[in-house]
Amino acid sequence: MKKILSIFIMALSFTLLPSCDDGFDDLNTSKSGATNLDPVFILNNALIASSPNQSLIYEEAIVQQWFSTNTGVLEGGNFNKVNVNTTPNNWNNFYQNVIRYTNDVIVRTKDEPTRANLYHMARILQAHAFMILTDTYGSIPYSEAGGGYTAQNFFPTYESQETIYPKIIDEITQAVAGLGTGGNVETGDALYQGNIAKWKKFGNSLLLRAGMRLFKADAAKAAATVTAAIGGDAAANLILSNADNVIIKHDANFVNGHGNTVNGGEAANFYLAEPFINALKGVPGNVGNTTVVDPRLTAMAIRYGGARSGGDQTANSFANGSKDPADQFGCPVGSTDGEADLSGALLPPGGLYGTPAAPRTGNRFCYSQLDRNRMVKRTSPLFLITAAQTQFLLAEAAMRGYAGLTFAQAATYFNNGIKAHMDEMALYDPGCAISAVNRDTYAAGPEGTLSNGSLAAALPQIGYQYWVASLLNGHEAWANFRRLGYPALAPNPNPGSQVPGAFIERLTYPDAEKLVNTANVADAVATLGGPDALGTKVWWAK
Amino acid sequence: MGMLLLLYGQGMSQQMELYAAIDKPIDASTRNGETRISALADISGTITDENGQPFPGVNIVVKGTSSGTTTDVNGKYSLTVNDDNAVLVMSFVGYATQEVALAGRTQIDVVMQPDVQSLDEVVVTALGIERSAKSLGYATSKVNSDQLTINRSPNLMNSLQGKVAGVNISSLGTGPGGTSKIRIRGQSSINGQNNPLIVINGVPVDNTNFGTNPGNLGSNDGNIGTRGGGATTDGGDGLTSINPDDVESMTVLKGAAASALYGSRAKDGVIMITTKSKGTTKGIGITYNMNYMNDQVLDFTDYQYEFGQGENGVGPASPGAPANPVTGQWSFGPRIQPGMTQVLYNNEVVPYVAQKGILNDFYRNGSTLTNSISISATSDKGGMNVSVSNMKSDGVTPNNTYTRKTINLGFGYDLSEKFSIKGNINYSNEDNKNPPVVSEQDNSIPTSLLAMANTMPLAVLEANQFNSVGGEYSYSRFTNRTNPYWVLSRVRQNVIRDRVFGNLSLKYDITKWLFAQVRVGQDYWSRNQDYTNSPTGKNNLNQGGINSATPGFVNGQYTQEARTFRETNVDFLISATKTFGDIGVNLTGGGNQMYRRSDLNSVQVTDFVVKDLYTVQNGRLKDPTYDRSERAVNSLYGSAEINYKQFLYLNATVRNDWFSTLSPENRSIVYPSVSASYVLSESFSAPPSWLDFAKIRAAYAEAGSDTDVPPYADKLFYGTSAAQFGGQPVGNFGTTIPNAGLKPMRIAETEVGLETKMFDSRVGLDVALYRRITSDQIVNAQVSNASGFVNTRINSGESENKGIEVMVTLVPFRTSNFEWEFIFNGAYNETKVLSLLTSKDGESITVGNHVFNGSVQQIVGKEMGQIVGNGYRRDDGTINPENLGKIVFGADGLPLTTSNVVFGSALPKWVGGFTNSFNYKDIIVSFLIDFKLGGKLLSGTNFNAYRHGLHKASLEGREGGTLDAGGNDPGKVTGVGVDINSNPNTASARNEDYFSVVRARALIEPVIYDAGYWKLRQITAGYDFTKFLSPTFPIKGLKLSFVANNVLMLKKWADNIDPEAFGYSSDNVVGMESPTVPTTRSIGFNLNVKF
Repeated sequence: MKKILSIFIMALSFTLLPSCDDGFDDLNTSKSGATNLDPVFILNNALIASSPNQSLIYEEAIVQQWFSTNTGVLEGGNFNKVNVNTTPNNWNNFYQNVIRYTNDVIVRTKDEPTRANLYHMARILQAHAFMILTDTYGSIPYSEAGGGYTAQNFFPTYESQETIYPKIIDEITQAVAGLGTGGNVETGDALYQGNIAKWKKFGNSLLLRAGMRLFKADAAKAAATVTAAIGGDAAANLILSNADNVIIKHDANFVNGHGNTVNGGEAANFYLAEPFINALKGVPGNVGNTTVVDPRLTAMAIRYGGARSGGDQTANSFANGSKDPADQFGCPVGSTDGEADLSGALLPPGGLYGTPAAPRTGNRFCYSQLDRNRMVKRTSPLFLITAAQTQFLLAEAAMRGYAGLTFAQAATYFNNGIKAHMDEMALYDPGCAISAVNRDTYAAGPEGTLSNGSLAAALPQIGYQYWVASLLNGHEAWANFRRLGYPALAPNPNPGSQVPGAFIERLTYPDAEKLVNTANVADAVATLGGPDALGTKVWWAK
Repeated sequence: MGMLLLLYGQGMSQQMELYAAIDKPIDASTRNGETRISALADISGTITDENGQPFPGVNIVVKGTSSGTTTDVNGKYSLTVNDDNAVLVMSFVGYATQEVALAGRTQIDVVMQPDVQSLDEVVVTALGIERSAKSLGYATSKVNSDQLTINRSPNLMNSLQGKVAGVNISSLGTGPGGTSKIRIRGQSSINGQNNPLIVINGVPVDNTNFGTNPGNLGSNDGNIGTRGGGATTDGGDGLTSINPDDVESMTVLKGAAASALYGSRAKDGVIMITTKSKGTTKGIGITYNMNYMNDQVLDFTDYQYEFGQGENGVGPASPGAPANPVTGQWSFGPRIQPGMTQVLYNNEVVPYVAQKGILNDFYRNGSTLTNSISISATSDKGGMNVSVSNMKSDGVTPNNTYTRKTINLGFGYDLSEKFSIKGNINYSNEDNKNPPVVSEQDNSIPTSLLAMANTMPLAVLEANQFNSVGGEYSYSRFTNRTNPYWVLSRVRQNVIRDRVFGNLSLKYDITKWLFAQVRVGQDYWSRNQDYTNSPTGKNNLNQGGINSATPGFVNGQYTQEARTFRETNVDFLISATKTFGDIGVNLTGGGNQMYRRSDLNSVQVTDFVVKDLYTVQNGRLKDPTYDRSERAVNSLYGSAEINYKQFLYLNATVRNDWFSTLSPENRSIVYPSVSASYVLSESFSAPPSWLDFAKIRAAYAEAGSDTDVPPYADKLFYGTSAAQFGGQPVGNFGTTIPNAGLKPMRIAETEVGLETKMFDSRVGLDVALYRRITSDQIVNAQVSNASGFVNTRINSGESENKGIEVMVTLVPFRTSNFEWEFIFNGAYNETKVLSLLTSKDGESITVGNHVFNGSVQQIVGKEMGQIVGNGYRRDDGTINPENLGKIVFGADGLPLTTSNVVFGSALPKWVGGFTNSFNYKDIIVSFLIDFKLGGKLLSGTNFNAYRHGLHKASLEGREGGTLDAGGNDPGKVTGVGVDINSNPNTASARNEDYFSVVRARALIEPVIYDAGYWKLRQITAGYDFTKFLSPTFPIKGLKLSFVANNVLMLKKWADNIDPEAFGYSSDNVVGMESPTVPTTRSIGFNLNVKF
């Protein structure tokens, strides 16, 4: 019995020894997570999230390129309405999925000379995100943003767009200057594998974009910024070749958000808008004042004439898709589901797959779509900055006389921009490729030629081409449209419009932000120059 | 104190035990016969109960020997003794054991009296310490094991709905094997899970629940669920692996004082389960129990059947209109008239007639058959009990089955005078096949069925599941609404769990008044789960077929998961009990080491090489994850009890916990409790004769918890994505800002109570009042997204629970043959949020979202669990005061909305039930009516019924609209209200647009309901056949009872649903109703045979 007793006491003392929290620190260290990770891999995540995946509901519908007739979750720019589920998309994506990561990279590489290049790359990518954010919302958290962990700042203050733009311009300028002055080559970079020259072009092209944004709000700053971006040699410093495009090469794992939407449950719900189709078709009176059929129409669009449902929209059905430009019909802007169903009058008599004797009645399922099997596959790439966009900006800068550029240069940049976009189509899918002959024919025609040296005549042409070339990058298409006012789109006629003016000028702050960062949002609204509403113009658009 | 529902045989005696008068002097036997005898003698006699009725089955043993007998059905017995000075010991459970010396007599007649000491029943309290009930300063409820065994459900706790005051049990509409949601005294923590601790034989076991939790934000429990979407099923909880037959007793410890000794883990109360470790009588006993329950689905829908499938008045192929065959989820078609036909999605032409009662047509009758057999052996030194059981449950969803096999061994043995050993081990194997996907859109049968166009014949859906390429044949343009038959044939899930838990304790009586005990317990389970998140050919993954987005592959997603869990508890206890004159003292000290580890290996694959082959190697993109989580709590504790003359008790406890999840500065925390109990009826020298028993009690306790702090919450950890991008790794980290400074949350609870028995125990009352403050709660504080993050955990929240629990027992009628007993239990609980980040009224956090629209928020100054969302915009009366409050319509004729309208708390305020039991001779019949009142719900079912044109309200304005080109009438609704200029509204909208506004504008106001109900929950009838059995017959006891469960809905306020039918176990989505498997009415029987 004594033996049992002693075992007993031993057991007791075992439970008490040696201290009541021995080993707890080790126990509370994760065995399946790392406390450190090469920041370049974090930058890759920020890069993927910078893709304009979220611009479908508002931006692309506002600029009347591509939209849904559906109400509910898809409601937004198609009806000029506030959809609180979607207005925060840019906010949440760029702050959470880009700036959270770029901030981490910047903080961790700032004082690390060997990672100087990575530091500057992260600054450029972050500046790109901030531009989209302020272009979308106006006043936004800038200097204090992204510091939830690193600075323990949970509720950042806002800054006005007027204050932010010079800071973005400084940031990009410093980053471009800093690149290549020392430090490792960041081969883990998924965009350019650490190629310094390409990153510099990215930075300068972004700088050009930022400068051109300000032509109305601060012309001097705009001119100076554009001059700095060109740096005396546009070809050396800017993205003028598709090989240098800032491209997100989506793959089966990191999919194209647009492609995912139209290859999933919403496949039958998105249609190309009537103004877009009509302009590319050269229908008289179109927003681009075009007169010829654009070869890009065939590359982009498909129409399942006679389809009665989403299920009918297959290549194998009786309504097999037509890519013929003549067959393309765009969905009237602002039409709701029901109205679109009854727009049979828009279809040619007899339709594509009917006969004059037995006409098929149209419904929304047979409007033209962006081809989900070519241009918007799940694996199709998306572009942040392209050679086409940069050339068009240069053309405009030249017309405005910035950086000493001439009209002749403007005409060349304009013409080259169009060709660059035609060539870019092949990057989406081989099936989107445009032949050199078709490209050159179009570019040599009136659509590819700046008519004369007048700014007033050139801007509609440039604005129209920039619009077409920015398809699928709604952020940029919308920002440029607001800045420039071209193409001359007609206001969305939907009767339920919640916009006092003609177009949506900014998106409203997220409800969540108003809820948790209340005081700072209130301060920010005071700097907007209008209510926190869709109709309030941002600073550079005023 | 106990709440008895089913009273028969042994159960009846326990009833006597529980409600008997107390502490009157024992009026022992009445003695007849004076004949003296010597040596061998035959003794006989009759034993009667306190009412003079013959008492069968009483044990009679000659003291000091093993010889004995039992009384027959007439209460008679006879036996032979060889010593005329022998003493007979008569015993029966629940009755006072009597010892009668023969003193030379040959006939001994005895009147058995209920065990008046039994109000001083022994209650198993924290750590398995047994205490006399009257000494307790806090509320406990003892649950009779009959309540668990007769009315069965695969989850043991569901049989207690409406029966225990202050305990709110919800069985979820998620199929057999699903979670049981238990809340004691309401919800205290503002986050997710407020589950009580489950303790088996003194040692905590795991009750992790794998419930469906979509929309549950921020809380840890959200991480437990499945991943990948499309497979939101309820994987059950820890209680499902317990066989009710093995339960000897169950005690519910409600307040913090009761559970103080469990410290951190018992903030929501404790359910103490003691399993059987010996038989009820000496020797070998064999018991066989069979239980069968049949479940029939209940259809609460009251839909419209005047207008059939279609949209905007256009039916599937209305005359002159374009064919519109893909409206399978819409009932906005033309008026149903005799002779009409419709062209369905498969081009089949069928009559256009209403399809009523599809729930009953689709679902089958479920059934549950449980067989268990147990063998017990009992001796002076101890005993053992072994049981084997098999339960097979067929869910009402035709492909859903759940089987459970358990083996349980319990034993106890006195190794010597001083040294004893006790232990138990339980093994269970559960196999849950195809638990139904609920409360979501994709792959969810309930969601599709409850919104199915009202003229869509099920037979067509069943016959036309597949399109020409073998994918889902889309019957509706709403491709997230999967064809229910396709779900049955293609959506697969298997959950298999093996679990072993048990403990072993050694006790040593050092002296008569001092013992020490060491106990080791472990709960271990492994759980394998695999499911097709998206079966190959799922329509909305790719229009028209099985072609994958990635060329060369077929679409789909499949996940395989393996989890293991281990919790070990080692504890010791030293306890001393001594009496000094009128003062009795008990001192107990001990310590516990808890260690818990869970591991998860999960592989999710997307896209397949070979169609319909669901394996990991067949997948294209593989996303494996491994997760491991460990935590430990070390504790030291002690308690002291002092009593004066056994009518005044004072009890104090103190516990110190050390938490591994918290930083060194914050990880140690001490919490005390004090309680007192004063037995009035014993303190009086001459209590009034009508007062049998009276006690008042009071308690104050503190406790703490780290349960809302996950391990590793103090640091930022990096991870990498499964796939590379452009040949390069992609890094990531979480969106919650780590906080190294977290402290445990604190609970302080004050409780007072009164217990009394009067008038020969015909009137009983037990009342408890409590107030609990839960502070330093871990709030998942939402931060500005511009900080880059979503939230951070902080200690901040404070809430208050206040409530009263009442139990009234009445015996309005009692004769020797007939008794009517009435028991009411009811609890009122109110939980208020006192502070979140600040204590500013109106400050709120969102803790969960509805699948469609609406959310659950915690709002300072309001009750917990507020349902918040868009309401109608109401005229503010500034232009015309008369229009104040009227609904405002836009130019399009649709109502405008106001965001963030608070519609009220989803938590019920009143929960309780009435039991009436009637006992005529040996027939016992009882019924239970229960209720939950005072909460709100947001009905997703009605949300769909509105927008799909099934709700009767949507009949407004079906006709009278502007005819379309095909002559179809889309209807016209002009809402009653004003326009934005406060003029009467004249704008009208098409009928479908008007009722779709719930979705288009996220308007939830029309589908907010009072969640209350009154139900006839249960009817039982039982009869004990034992008295008809000859003593020589091998069967010693035979009881048969019938039970009907969920018998009748007496009153409810929500349209089209059973307000109880919820899919979620988390409090973060409380009140967020979304279609579940229908509730069922169960009818069955229980047969209990003793050999």
